[in-house]
Amino acid sequence: MTKYVLRRLLHGLISVVIVVLIVMLLVYSMMDRENVLASDATYTKRQNNQREDYKYSRWELFGYVDYVTFQDWLNMLVREGEIDADVKKEALKFGKYLEKDENNDFLDPADPEVAREYVLKFKEYYEAKGYTVVRRPAVMLTKTKVDAGGKQALFAYRDIPLAKRALTYFTRLIQVDNVHYVDAETDIGPRKLTFTLFDPAAGGKFSPAVMGNGTQHKYLLYFDSQFPYIHQNLFSLRLGTSFVQANNTEVTTMMGKRQGAKVYHTVTYPTGVAENSADDLHTAVYVEGSRDQLELNQRRYTDDYTSTTPYYKNRSAIAYSFLIGVISTVAAYLIGIPLGVLLSRKKDKFADKLGTAYVVFILAVPSLAYIFMFKVIGRAMGLPGEMRTDAETAWMYVLPIVSLALPSIAGLMKWVRRYMIDQMNADYVKFARSGGLSDREIFSKHILKNAIIPIVHGIPAGVLGSLVGAIVTERVYTVPGVGGLLTDAIEKYDNAVIVGVTLFYATLSVVSLILGDVLMALVDPRISFTTEKAR
Amino acid sequence: MNETLTDLSGFGLSDEELFSHVDNSEAEAERITAPRYSYWHSVFRVFFRKKINIIALSILAVIVLFTYIYPMFSGYDKYANLMVEGSTHLNPAKAMKMFGYNIHWIFGTGGSGQSTFDALWSGARISLSLAFVCAAINLAIGVVLGAIWGFSKKMDIIMTEVFNVIGNVPYILLISVVVMILSASFWSLVFALTVTGWLAIAYFIRTQVIIIRDREYNLASRCLGTSIFRIAIRNILPFMVSVIVTLAATEIPTYISYEVFLSFIGLRMKDESLGRLIDMAKNSMLTPGWQFEFWCPAIVASIITVVLYLVGQNLGDASDPRTHT
Repeated sequence: MTKYVLRRLLHGLISVVIVVLIVMLLVYSMMDRENVLASDATYTKRQNNQREDYKYSRWELFGYVDYVTFQDWLNMLVREGEIDADVKKEALKFGKYLEKDENNDFLDPADPEVAREYVLKFKEYYEAKGYTVVRRPAVMLTKTKVDAGGKQALFAYRDIPLAKRALTYFTRLIQVDNVHYVDAETDIGPRKLTFTLFDPAAGGKFSPAVMGNGTQHKYLLYFDSQFPYIHQNLFSLRLGTSFVQANNTEVTTMMGKRQGAKVYHTVTYPTGVAENSADDLHTAVYVEGSRDQLELNQRRYTDDYTSTTPYYKNRSAIAYSFLIGVISTVAAYLIGIPLGVLLSRKKDKFADKLGTAYVVFILAVPSLAYIFMFKVIGRAMGLPGEMRTDAETAWMYVLPIVSLALPSIAGLMKWVRRYMIDQMNADYVKFARSGGLSDREIFSKHILKNAIIPIVHGIPAGVLGSLVGAIVTERVYTVPGVGGLLTDAIEKYDNAVIVGVTLFYATLSVVSLILGDVLMALVDPRISFTTEKAR
Repeated sequence: MNETLTDLSGFGLSDEELFSHVDNSEAEAERITAPRYSYWHSVFRVFFRKKINIIALSILAVIVLFTYIYPMFSGYDKYANLMVEGSTHLNPAKAMKMFGYNIHWIFGTGGSGQSTFDALWSGARISLSLAFVCAAINLAIGVVLGAIWGFSKKMDIIMTEVFNVIGNVPYILLISVVVMILSASFWSLVFALTVTGWLAIAYFIRTQVIIIRDREYNLASRCLGTSIFRIAIRNILPFMVSVIVTLAATEIPTYISYEVFLSFIGLRMKDESLGRLIDMAKNSMLTPGWQFEFWCPAIVASIITVVLYLVGQNLGDASDPRTHT
C-alpha cells in the first residue's frame, strides 16, 4: 500500500511538473507580451528610448527576458575590478548613432576611442551568450536637441528559454533558512541557532522558541496565541512573486497573510522599550544596515532584524475560503447522504420526484443564477448578503456556506440515490430480505455501506478543494478569499502568480485524488492496490 | 397420395387442431416473421408516452423559434433609444406606457433604453449557438477518439497520461489564455471550450467502450474474423446511442452555464450573449425597481438549460432499447 501510494505520488509529481511547464509555455511564450504594459501608466508616460528601456526592464521583472543595458554591464566590470570609473565614464559617452561608421555599421563615427572598444566588446560578449544586442539612435527634436527620453541606447536582451525558466523555478521552490543567509562579510557576531524556553517576544513567559543569528528570520520556530499556535519560518515556499497585484509579494504571502485593520497592543521591543504598536516581533526579518539608518530602529532593536509584519484583525484569504469551504463540505455530506437514501427508499414517490427536480434544477441552471437567487432569498430573510470584514458576525458566513453547500448536496443526492438503487437489486439484499430483515435495517446496514464507497472518494477533494476557493460565491458575497486569485492574476498579467497558483492547484488535485483512493481502500477492504502475485 | 389420408371427422377435433396442407413457396420461406421493430420508431414512441416530454419539447420549440427567428424581425438596436429622455431602466408598465403596447416592452427597458425582451433573444441566439457548436465539436471528437482510446491498448497508455496531465491544468486558465491570445470573439471562445473539452467526453466513452469491448458476443464476433471497425460500428455503437444522447443532453446546458460563468469572471465576448446580459445587469439586481433586467436573462437562461436538460435526459432514457417494451 505504502509503495503504491509513493508510486502514485511520484507519478503525480511528474504530472504537476508537466502542468507547470505547459502553463509556463502558455503564459510566457503564447500570450502577447505587449499587452502586459497596456494599462501601465509609467509606460504610457515615458517616451522614445526611455520607454523601450522601461518596457524591457518590466519584461525582465515579469520573467520574460534577460535584459542588460550597456551601463549595467560597465557597472559590473567596475565591480569586478576590470575597469575603473574613468573608463566607464568615457565608455558611456558613446555617440548618438545618427549615422553609421563605414567600416562597422554597429559603430558611430562620433564614438570616442574607449567607447568604440567597449561597445564592440559588449556586443561580442552578449552575442556569444545568445543575446540580441540593440543599439538605438537618439531621437532628435531639433538638429541639436534630443527629444524627451530620446537619449541613445545600447542594450542586450534574450528570451529566457523554457528549460532554464523551469529549472530555476523548481530549484528555488523550497527555501530553507540557514545561518549563512546574511552576507558572509557582515559582522553580526556568532552565527548560530539558539533554543530558548522563555521567548523574549512573548514577554519572557514560558514559550519555547528557536531563534537564529545569521538567518533571514529571527524566529525559526515559535508559539503564539494564534491558530495553529505553533509557527515556523525555517522552510518557505516560493510559488512566485507578484509585481502587479501586490508589489513584490510572494504568492504564499498573498494567500496566507492576515487582512483588515491593524491590531495595536503594547509591544516590548528587544531594547526593553514598550510601545503601543501593531508589530509582530515573531515575524522579524533581517534587513542589512537598517538599524543604523533609522533612529526609530535604534531605539527599538538591538540588531538588524527590524522588518516586521503587523498584526491584522481578520483571517487570511485562504483561511476565509477554507473555513467556508470546509463547513459547506461537511454540511453537504451530513445532509446530502441521508437525503439521497431517502430518495432511494421513496423511489418513484413524491419525495423522489421533488428531490430529482431539485437535482435537475441545480445541474441545469447556471450557477450564477441560483447563487443570486439564494442571495435574494437570504436577504429577504434578514441575513447579511455581504461580508464585512470591519464588523464580523457569524451570520454573514451563513449565505456563502449555504450557497456552496446546496449544489454539493444536489450532487451527493444524485449519486447516493443512483448507487443505492443499483444495489437494491443485488443478491445480498434479496437474501437479507428473505432472512426477514426489515427494510430499514437493510437500507442502513447493508445497502448504505456498499453504496457509500464511491461517495467517500470525493471527501479529500472536497476538503482540499476548499483551499482553492469558490470564485463566483466569493464575488457575489464579497468574501475576501482566494477564489479570484487566478482570474485576477490572468486579467492583470501577473505571470508569476499564474504559475504559482497553478502549481498549487495541480498539487492539491493530485494529492486529493490519491487520498481519495486511499480512503476508499480503507473503507472497503475488498479494494486492494497491491497486485497479488499469481498463486 | 390422397387415398392414404384418413378421415379425421370421427376423432371429434376442432378445425384449429387439424393440420392443413401448405404449398412450398420460395418467397414465403425467405420471410422472417419477427415482429416489425424500428429502433428510432420505438425511441419516439417511448419518448412521447410521457406527457412532460411533450410539454418540454413544445417549450423548447418555442424557445428555438424565438431565438432564431424573432431577432430577424425585432430589429433590435441597443442604442436606438439612447437619446430618448427617461427611457432607461423602466419597468414593463412604464415602458409600455412610454412606447406603446408592443411585445418589445413586456420586460421593460435596460440601461440604455433598449428593450430587454429583444436583447434577451438576440443574446439567447449567441449563447445557444455557442452551446450547440461546442457540444457538436466536443461530442464528435470525443466519441471518435474515445472509441479508439477504448480499443487500442497502446493509445490507452498514452491518452491516460495526457488526460491526467491536462486534467490538472485549471480550465479557467486555459480558456483565459486562449481568449487573450485570440481576442474574445465567438469563435475563439468556441476554440477555448473545445481545445481540451473533448478529453472528458473521450474518457467517458473510453470507459464505456472498455466495459462492452470484452463481452462474449464481441469476442465471438472477433473469433469469427469480424474486423475491429465493423465490431465498433455494428456491435458497440448501437449500445452507445443512449449514452451519447444522455451525454449531449448534459453537455449543451453546461456550455450555456459556462458562458454565463465566464462572462461573470470577466472573460466576455464582445457580442451580447445571455451571460454578458446577466453580467451587465448584476448591479441592477441590487437596485430596487431594476431587478427585472437581471432576472429576465437569468430566468430565460435557466428555462433554456432546464428544458434542454429534461428533453435530453428523457430522450437518452428513451433511446435505451431496454425501455422499449
